[in-house]
Amino acid sequence: MPWRETAAELDRAGAEQAVKVPSPTGTLFGIHTPPDPTAPAAGYCVVLFTRPRAHRNRMWVEGARRLAARGFGAFRFDYHGTGDSEGPTSFLNPNQPYRDDAEAVLAALRARFGYQRFLVVGACFDARTALSTLAVKRSGVEGMVFFAAPLMELDTLVKAHADRKDWRHLLRALGNHENWRALVNRERWRYMATVLGRVARGGKRGARQDTPLADSFVEHFGALVASGARALFVYGESDAEYVSFQVAMQTVFPRLAPAERARFEVEVWPGDVHGFVNIPLQRRALEHTLGWLERFHPQPHTRVGANGPPQ
Amino acid sequence: MEVEGSPLYAVLHDAVPGRPEAPVIVHVHALGVEQITLYRQEVLAARGATALGFPVLRYHARGHGDSAGSSADVTLSSLVTDARAAADEAKRRSGRARVVWLGVRLGALVAAIAGGPSSGRGDAAGFVLWEPAAKPADFFRQQLRTLLFSRVAGGLKPDATVDQLLVRLEQEGSLDVLGYSLQRSLVRSFDGASLEAALAGCRAPVLLAQIEARARLAPAHAALVGSLNAPPAAGGERATVSTALVREEPGYQLMSNPAWSSDDLTRVTTEWLDALA
Repeated sequence: MPWRETAAELDRAGAEQAVKVPSPTGTLFGIHTPPDPTAPAAGYCVVLFTRPRAHRNRMWVEGARRLAARGFGAFRFDYHGTGDSEGPTSFLNPNQPYRDDAEAVLAALRARFGYQRFLVVGACFDARTALSTLAVKRSGVEGMVFFAAPLMELDTLVKAHADRKDWRHLLRALGNHENWRALVNRERWRYMATVLGRVARGGKRGARQDTPLADSFVEHFGALVASGARALFVYGESDAEYVSFQVAMQTVFPRLAPAERARFEVEVWPGDVHGFVNIPLQRRALEHTLGWLERFHPQPHTRVGANGPPQ
Repeated sequence: MEVEGSPLYAVLHDAVPGRPEAPVIVHVHALGVEQITLYRQEVLAARGATALGFPVLRYHARGHGDSAGSSADVTLSSLVTDARAAADEAKRRSGRARVVWLGVRLGALVAAIAGGPSSGRGDAAGFVLWEPAAKPADFFRQQLRTLLFSRVAGGLKPDATVDQLLVRLEQEGSLDVLGYSLQRSLVRSFDGASLEAALAGCRAPVLLAQIEARARLAPAHAALVGSLNAPPAAGGERATVSTALVREEPGYQLMSNPAWSSDDLTRVTTEWLDALA
């Protein structure tokens, strides 16, 4: 059943404020959902990195209003070149996150509304941009929900994903006439050629060592570790992006000290997470995110506080 | 602005000075995923129009985007109510007396009903129709075809035909279409509505911008143009209908990176507006 606002959420919708944020690439447009003044104050602003601003099926509009009804501030905005913001439009490469936009947004939220503590949420490119805020000096970011982002350069990710396949998989795929129909798509051709090449060359999986993490991810992950912030990483086991996260789990995660590692939660869900392309997944992702963020609330809701407050 | 107790999100783009008599343009957005895949294109076209002296108002209908309301409650009637409220607000805030309705996809039908000859408003200065969905049933079928095609593109076998999905919608009340809930109540609310009927007797100028790779008007668009060009039964004036072929693949049917936009579509729209004023 589609979301139906409660009276408190409808009240938050009416309280929303349009905000213009100056940035190096033009004025960004965002919407601030102020916390319900009658709810216990959470003391955080949740910045929802999302594109488009409402995202598929308005899931982060719902998120913003539900958070605000619980006493969090919330902010969602358009990156430069997207939605209502100014600036040139270009391909959004997750390995080149829009850190300048993110930094400008945090600065505006501090200056205009007085927020000092932030929680950030994003998926794919948006997750990488959310992560990049940790590299901003004194960002005030204390928690992050990170959904299904690629952690490698995109060409490398195609290779790493191809390494999941074997001859049996390839023969099965070739026997499916729908796959042949899909070859009208040029990207699909490119992908198939890479898969064929990787499978034909064979070799022990992972032995090639030619699928490294992107430098930008390693840098921003390091900033996350140094910041002391907590994070929740969520991937779908069928996500192409999950392969890159597996490499991170084998490389950068094992280097963490136990106290550092304890600040990070990792969840791998069945099927796909990337894109939130079906409603049950959207609901699960939204409820899980709100529940995790609720743990930062000084007076957490009992229903979602079962895992205890963040350490 | 507020409609029936629900706050609605809207943006008024101020016009550059110099054309105080130019009408205000009201965008009536598309439905489902197309509301967001065509978002940037609408923004770019609005900015192009304001540079020519036209104020523009864009809004999100209830149950859409940043507005309040549930998508479960959206019907043709609620869409038309919101569109009319948006036009009233646009006139009030801009001080302009007349409205150009810019309808996007199925929004073209909403715009035509909201401001067309049967609306009783009498303030329409023109209609811009971007790849209009002439018949709602065809639009909803296309949504379902896109759903099936996305499965094929992802290497999966479709688990139903369009007809089977429509039966499922009828039985279950809603369908998950790429993360959007397609409601039986919405589909039923469009029963019997058509762009041709909504614009019958229209005397205001019309621009039909087709966004398809083909080199001539699609049969549905050609039929609409033929109908608008036919002499009115009661005599008198008829609409001046212009057509523009934006020969691009309709990249707005699925989300893409970057979002789909068309300089050609912006150009033909602003050129037509410039000539109108």
